Amino acid sequence: MSPMWGSTAQYEVMHWSWAIAVYLFLAGISAGSIIVALLVKWNRHERSNSSIWDAMIKSGTLVAPVSILAGLFLLVADLGRPLSFYWLLIRFNPLSVMSLGVLFLLIYTPIVLVFTLLVFERTIVKYTWLSPLGSFIEWVKSLHSYAKTIEYFLMAAALCVGTYTGFLLSALYAIPLWNSPVLPIVFLTSSISSGIAVNILIGLVFFKSTINTESIKYLLVLDLRVIMTELPLLGIFFVGLLYGGGEVSSMAKAALSHGGLALVFWLGVIGIGLLLPLATVILALRSHVYRVGYILTNATAVLLGVLLLRYYIIYAGQIYLG
Amino acid sequence: MAKAYRLIFDENLCIGCQACNVACRLENDVPEGVYRLQVHVTTQGVFPHLGMHFERRSCVMCDEPPCVSVCPTGASFQSKDGLVHIHESQCITCKYCILACPYHARFINPVKNVVEKCTFCFDSRLSKALDPACVSVCTTEALRFGDVSQENSTVAMLSRKETLLFPKAHLGTKPKVCFIPARKGVKV
Repeated sequence: MSPMWGSTAQYEVMHWSWAIAVYLFLAGISAGSIIVALLVKWNRHERSNSSIWDAMIKSGTLVAPVSILAGLFLLVADLGRPLSFYWLLIRFNPLSVMSLGVLFLLIYTPIVLVFTLLVFERTIVKYTWLSPLGSFIEWVKSLHSYAKTIEYFLMAAALCVGTYTGFLLSALYAIPLWNSPVLPIVFLTSSISSGIAVNILIGLVFFKSTINTESIKYLLVLDLRVIMTELPLLGIFFVGLLYGGGEVSSMAKAALSHGGLALVFWLGVIGIGLLLPLATVILALRSHVYRVGYILTNATAVLLGVLLLRYYIIYAGQIYLG
Repeated sequence: MAKAYRLIFDENLCIGCQACNVACRLENDVPEGVYRLQVHVTTQGVFPHLGMHFERRSCVMCDEPPCVSVCPTGASFQSKDGLVHIHESQCITCKYCILACPYHARFINPVKNVVEKCTFCFDSRLSKALDPACVSVCTTEALRFGDVSQENSTVAMLSRKETLLFPKAHLGTKPKVCFIPARKGVKV
């Protein structure tokens, strides 16, 4: 086909840019870190001594609100008319995944903020200018009999936030690389893995508590499990597309083999994000060398990989339209 | 009674003059560089068996519009006549509808910074019982427009006579714009 007349410029615009990729990353981190913090709180938390688990909860409740607020700021800033964003709040379309996302975020964000206030109560009461929060925290604490219920509710909200970003893309049948039922699961898994990574990273850097061989080993094993889930899931995602037939197959082939974007996938997502952590984890566990450095390298690599995955999916979808 | 609008593009009659394209730009004040409507012209075949292929690129006014169901604010909506329009004031330009459209018919108006597309010239012409600008200027009557529920309308008669193709019909969007494909083949 040789176009003799006609402009295609308007079909080649990247309508959702890096800002959306970073938002998806931040929303995933937020949901993932709170999911991990809650799991730790329910299963591993030891009240009596300050352990690595305390650090995981603290970093989860610190990262979750910061990243979701930063993400929401990016999201609004990326709108063509940022000042009109209030329409999202006063209108609701139950058929639109974006509308559902707004609903989830409106439920999720305040609960996360309250959870953070509770976890950092001791820090907050130290500052007099934060004193109004003190009485609010006291009021929240009077509801302690509902604590577990609220935590379950928060877990459900976090799962919704972590998954809806996948459905946001997969709902569009106009875009072959996004329109896959596996995408929301891939996004949720990778957001949990980014949650683990960020909690480990922030926990070790800012809330460095008792780090012993046992906890390092546990975190490394945790890393290994998540990577071993994400790798096959990504495989299933692309095999599904490649078997999709017609333009779905050809677009998936192109996205995996052409240009810099394919490089981002193979080198960034698979290489740095999954294989590098996998190799270091296996090496460390095999040779019984448990160094904090390994964990930090792994966590950073995992986070970079998760960010690049979002970036790759956002751009590949819009470039390979069929 | 609700209208059942249909716009038929006959590829056999189109000569690629772009009068429709220009009329659309003038009627709707479309800024430079973007298009509500254009006819893509391609050469097909191997010399000396060449042929021209004309493809109308515009909103196809789906009966089941994916751009409406994804809109979080209801700015993208369907009227009772089944036409898809955009409330400019409620559009936050999130661009979700642009991505949802399988026909890539939507774009951002760089002057107003809102999402825009073909409206069948609803405000300026159709609501005054006039044909869309593109139809009114078509030099070869390759474009026909009307209410297919009216038995004697040109589009109803054409629909009975000709084989109509609906773009990307497999998606189930049920477009109101359809075309009569070229009857003459080319050597490939």
